[in-house]
Amino acid sequence: MKTKPFAAPYAVWMLLFTIVPIALVAAYSFTTADGALTLRNMANFLDPIYITVLLRSLGIALLCTLICLLVGYPAAYVLAQKDFDKKGVLVLLFVIPMWMNFLLRTYAWLTLLESNGLITSTVNRVIEFFGGQGNVRLLYNYGAVLMGMVYNYLPFMVLPLYTSLSRLDRRVVEAAEDLGANRSQVFLRVVFPLSVPGIFSGVTMVFMPAITTFVISRLLGGAQFKLFGDLIEQQFLFTGNWNFGSAMSLIMMVLLLLSMSIMNRYGDQEGGGIF
Amino acid sequence: MKSAGFFKRGYVYLVLAFLYMPILTLIVFSFNASKSRAVWGGFTLDWYRALFQNSEILNALYVTLAVALLAAVTATFIGTLGAIGMFSMKNGPKSLLLAAANLSMLTPDIVIGISLMILFLFANLPLGFGTMLLAHVSFNVPYVLFSVLPRLKQMNGSAYEAALDLGATHWQAIRKIVLPEIMPGILTGFILAFTLSLDDFVISFFTTSEVQNLSILVYSMARRGIHPTINALSTLMFVAIVALLLLVNRKSSILER
Amino acid sequence: MSVVEQQHLIDLVDLTKVYDGETEALSRMNLYIRKKEFVTLLGPSGCGKTTTLRLIAGFEFPTAGQVYFEGKEISSLPPYRRHVNTVFQKYALFPHMNVFENIAFGLRLKKVDESTINARVAEMLEMVNLRGFGRRKVDTLSGGQQQRVAIARALANRPEVLLLDEPLGALDLKLRKEMQIELKAMQQQLGITFVYVTHDQEEALTMSDTIVVMKEGLVQQIGSPICIYNEPKNAFVADFIGESNILPGTMLHDELVSFEGHDFICVDRGFGENQPVDVVIRPEDVQLCAPNDGMLRGTVASIVFKGVHYEMMIQTGGFAFMVHSTLAKAPGEEVGLRIVPFDIHIMKREAAL
Repeated sequence: MKTKPFAAPYAVWMLLFTIVPIALVAAYSFTTADGALTLRNMANFLDPIYITVLLRSLGIALLCTLICLLVGYPAAYVLAQKDFDKKGVLVLLFVIPMWMNFLLRTYAWLTLLESNGLITSTVNRVIEFFGGQGNVRLLYNYGAVLMGMVYNYLPFMVLPLYTSLSRLDRRVVEAAEDLGANRSQVFLRVVFPLSVPGIFSGVTMVFMPAITTFVISRLLGGAQFKLFGDLIEQQFLFTGNWNFGSAMSLIMMVLLLLSMSIMNRYGDQEGGGIF
Repeated sequence: MKSAGFFKRGYVYLVLAFLYMPILTLIVFSFNASKSRAVWGGFTLDWYRALFQNSEILNALYVTLAVALLAAVTATFIGTLGAIGMFSMKNGPKSLLLAAANLSMLTPDIVIGISLMILFLFANLPLGFGTMLLAHVSFNVPYVLFSVLPRLKQMNGSAYEAALDLGATHWQAIRKIVLPEIMPGILTGFILAFTLSLDDFVISFFTTSEVQNLSILVYSMARRGIHPTINALSTLMFVAIVALLLLVNRKSSILER
Repeated sequence: MSVVEQQHLIDLVDLTKVYDGETEALSRMNLYIRKKEFVTLLGPSGCGKTTTLRLIAGFEFPTAGQVYFEGKEISSLPPYRRHVNTVFQKYALFPHMNVFENIAFGLRLKKVDESTINARVAEMLEMVNLRGFGRRKVDTLSGGQQQRVAIARALANRPEVLLLDEPLGALDLKLRKEMQIELKAMQQQLGITFVYVTHDQEEALTMSDTIVVMKEGLVQQIGSPICIYNEPKNAFVADFIGESNILPGTMLHDELVSFEGHDFICVDRGFGENQPVDVVIRPEDVQLCAPNDGMLRGTVASIVFKGVHYEMMIQTGGFAFMVHSTLAKAPGEEVGLRIVPFDIHIMKREAAL
């Protein structure tokens, strides 16, 4: 087909609105406000204040990913079983939250956890019932942010896992049973290794937004609880230091691309041979 | 055997309960006459009435829908043409163009947001409706591209050549043979782009100033504190997205047939 | 040829499988399988042959009836506790393991020591002619090679019975023929029992000690290839095994049958007098002769060259005979047909074929 020129608008658009902006971010990262070349912005990031935030972001994102995996895997595994009836409806019920506005999801948690919220007031009433002081606060702390993240990203873990587990060839499982593997051996030696690609895509889909979020920490963590995303937002919208903000964005991108390529390589090599 | 099934089923329902409890609470309390978030004070539609009298909210709704529709149409156009164009390319230039789309999809929303903000301010474009629209088109294009490309690959390559052989011009062959073949992919891409636009917060947040869409409005209202009007708004948004999804589900199952 | 032992290894007793409470895939099947026997379950799709195999392997459990292995009931044992191994229709190799690990899978589960595993896998690779393929990923292998790995994997456990579910179905004709010979040789060399499922009658005739012909969940006939071919029990078996002319006739009395307006001497007895029957005549058993020398007279309607012989359709008064002959006759030519008594097979008339 002689249709190459059709791609011209696409090429121009991607150049203008994807490549150039990212190049601008990179340019700002290595320049001062006056436009002189510098490594200052990168060096500034080494300040313990920022490193702490980076580590906190990494930690909470990893923890969130782990919890999503531990909670989501069994759910996906059960859903993927052939004899599970009404499966279609249940899978759709996992899809709907994925498409729901995530501010709305976060806001929904906010209404439950804020001091007059259903969960908080129920917890406090239970405590009072047992004679304690019912003034527990569930919002604006680490736990609230973690819960909010798990709540937001859990479907993104379940769906890829479900897809990879339900694509699993039933006969491969039978072959393992036939060769003498009992149920747990079938799972450990066949089902789990074959679901590793699903695990990787689930982990990516949870980890990536978890480490970049600033909305969840802002709404559920309060002003004091800062994550990497908050730092970037702050630099652009409040402090106005675009150069430093760009440097942090670049660091975030490199970090993500790096971790994903490591995961991909690990996935390719070890995808099967974990056990 | 029976009890194992019971536990498995129970576990799935438990996870679903975790996912839906906050939403359902929110919906229930959007009809609550009392302002409390824990006590039921009788049924009311007051918050919905308040919602539709609030010009700020109505304006945000208008912005959301207008941006989503315009961005989806533009992105579908650019993305579809891009896919058709790339399909006839050699591997080298093609992979370069694909890499751009991949880069866009791998870049975190917050970085897309700030990078576009830098671009717009750098180019002296005042942030507002127009810049938000440009941003939405940008993040939508790769999704359309990746919805259309597989359809093109599935297409029987000789069909296009057969059309030429039978006397069609290039343009006729594309219009009468290629386009109908890839139409399901184009539709999927359009719907995907539309929903992504409706849903977006982060990128919109950085690429506009006064003009707000619903996500930004919910964010700023939520930061000021909880108000039953947001419950009502959220309920409506939830119902809208579920309706849209069910529609898409039915549509795609019809298309598959 | 290895000798089939008399001792029963597997007994199927009134074995019945009903799916979803309505579809009867298998009804009251009775079959014994002896040690070192090559048994083929043969029939069209949906006849219950694969179901039978899956019941023996333990992937399904019977709705009624029992499976016995060496006299012990195993009907409800899970697959991993049965001494049988399966070669699956589309191989079902483990995609995340290389050839070596696929073959070693069962041995690793048994916690066999590493040197034994190495030796056994090497032996298996040798047996299926895949020496040096151990480190290959399974998705780099051709269909035929994957099939060999599947066989090696199933045999590595040294099962007493190997179950094969249409193992050659996905291979091309030439490869299939080669594998038939190899499989048969392997079975005799190892001296184990094979239960083989196929819908290919030629495959069944080539390889089996015993053929079980099945249709719609019911056993039609059990017997040696020769017996099944020469003495089909009913029109279905006759039609399914090889090509046949099946025509309606009347058994006048013992050893005399009438069809196509002519009385033929035959060798069958015990059908009663003046009973309607089906008469089966193999195409190669119809001999051509001069029009006036034959028992029947017909006109050649068509002729096709088949390599070894010609296949002709010859129209007599009321029936078109398929005839295989090395003699070529021109269409339109008048011929005579002769059939010797031994080649006329009489079967009870079935209500519906």
